[in-house]
Amino acid sequence: MDEKTKTAAGIAAGLQGLKYDEKRLAELAAEVEILNEAVRKAAAQRLTFDDDPAAFASIMAKESRS
Amino acid sequence: MKNEDLALDDLTAIADAIAEGRTTSVAATEACLARIAAWQPRTNAFLRVYREKALAQAKAMDAELSAGRRRGPLHGVPMAHKDMYYRKGEVSTGGSAIRRDWVAPVTATVLDKLDAAGVVELGFLNMAEFAAGPTGHNVHHGHCRNPWDQSRVTGGSSSGSGASVAARMVYGALGSDTGGSIRLPAAACGVVGMKATYGRVSRAGAVARSWSLDHVGPLTRTVRDNARMLSVIAGHDPDDSTTSDKPVPDYEALLDDGVAGLRIGLALPKDGLAPLDPQIGAAIQTAADALGRLGAKVSTVTLPDFTALYRAAEVMVKCEAAAMHRPWMEKTPELYANQVRTRMEAGFFIPATQYIDALRLRAHFVTEFLSTAMDGVDAVLLPAIPFPLPTIEETDTETKGGPAVLKMVAGFTGLTRPFNTLGIPALSVPCGFDTNGAPIGLQLVGRPFDEAMLYRIGHAYQGATDFHTRVPQ
Repeated sequence: MDEKTKTAAGIAAGLQGLKYDEKRLAELAAEVEILNEAVRKAAAQRLTFDDDPAAFASIMAKESRS
Repeated sequence: MKNEDLALDDLTAIADAIAEGRTTSVAATEACLARIAAWQPRTNAFLRVYREKALAQAKAMDAELSAGRRRGPLHGVPMAHKDMYYRKGEVSTGGSAIRRDWVAPVTATVLDKLDAAGVVELGFLNMAEFAAGPTGHNVHHGHCRNPWDQSRVTGGSSSGSGASVAARMVYGALGSDTGGSIRLPAAACGVVGMKATYGRVSRAGAVARSWSLDHVGPLTRTVRDNARMLSVIAGHDPDDSTTSDKPVPDYEALLDDGVAGLRIGLALPKDGLAPLDPQIGAAIQTAADALGRLGAKVSTVTLPDFTALYRAAEVMVKCEAAAMHRPWMEKTPELYANQVRTRMEAGFFIPATQYIDALRLRAHFVTEFLSTAMDGVDAVLLPAIPFPLPTIEETDTETKGGPAVLKMVAGFTGLTRPFNTLGIPALSVPCGFDTNGAPIGLQLVGRPFDEAMLYRIGHAYQGATDFHTRVPQ
């Protein structure tokens, strides 16, 4: 079991109380890695301390008044 | 009315004919029921048909009209909806086995609004299990089949909505769209589908796929029909805090302004998550040319790289779906289709920080899109589905795993999911047929709350083309 699969196994069993076999854990680790990397990279390029998840709703609200 | 078979008239024509006493709601309902009898065996679009109830409703609508009361612009019009809109006291399956016999405790706000407008309910429609799937496959209730070619997919997840409107079984249908689930079946079945701005239509009483990305909207045969239906269902709802209190325009009244002078950005993406097939690109280019001849100023625009935006959407969907489905995934995992369950499982492993960052990125993504691709244009024109429609067998992920099949299925949403993340309106309009005879759909994308602009362009386009008038045989 490689390190990423071990991490997934730890999350599944230790943190989430879920059971998966090693093959599925490896697939999930690979899938999550792609998603995490994409978001992490985009976040590094764009996000600052003051970015608020609710900013999207604020933009929509402003647009609705324009 | 234009047709001997009333079911072949479009929604606005039948609504106006009922209002003016040229036909009745009962006659329209009987015509739809006859179409359902003929087409349900070929499409499996319906999960439940309410024949007697619909006829009783239609009689009541006719009686009200005779007494001088017209409820609204959809008075007496028969429709059916994706089986994820709750009606109090009635079964609502969400396309699942888990809720096969589940009875809804409340009625969805959109159904309340359609009731108030006088709509007759013919039943509820097939859909992807829990609105998870872009093709129209459903292992629990049977796959929905495309009326144009029953070997091909309908698109999903609002599969029955697309198929039933295309086959003229209903005049209009509600769908829902988390990553393309209104626009994909609209494109695949040759009908019109609107994913309005996030917050334009209430989600209260609808099965959620992802609270952050879900949009409720109509599928119809024409843009005019769609405009009328959206006018009825849009608006603020105290039961959905994400809805906007912005007044709902009379979309239908704004349709006929034409496109002369409008600026339309044509986007034919060459790479990215969904490479564009040349025949689809040619159909979109032809549509752009038609709009140009109508007076629109068409220019080429470049879409941003949607990869990060797409992945952020996947993070949101997987985390939110995993959270809401967890109790069932633990207790009765065997009741899910494998592909539905496995697509959610990653949500248990994505760190909360990544989910929160995906939410924080949305504001940046929408600001960037509006200031780049949409800068200086009134709407962007692009394909809805970037490749010719595959068959049900080719895209059956339950029986055919493998990277190629999964990649093809994922490719369906390559040009639709980004606009759920951005929350901006997107309209799918039929614009041709591929070499297999299956429909092709164009997509028009606009600024937040500018659905009227998209309808205006779509309506002008339909005035110059006849794809929306063709009926599957």
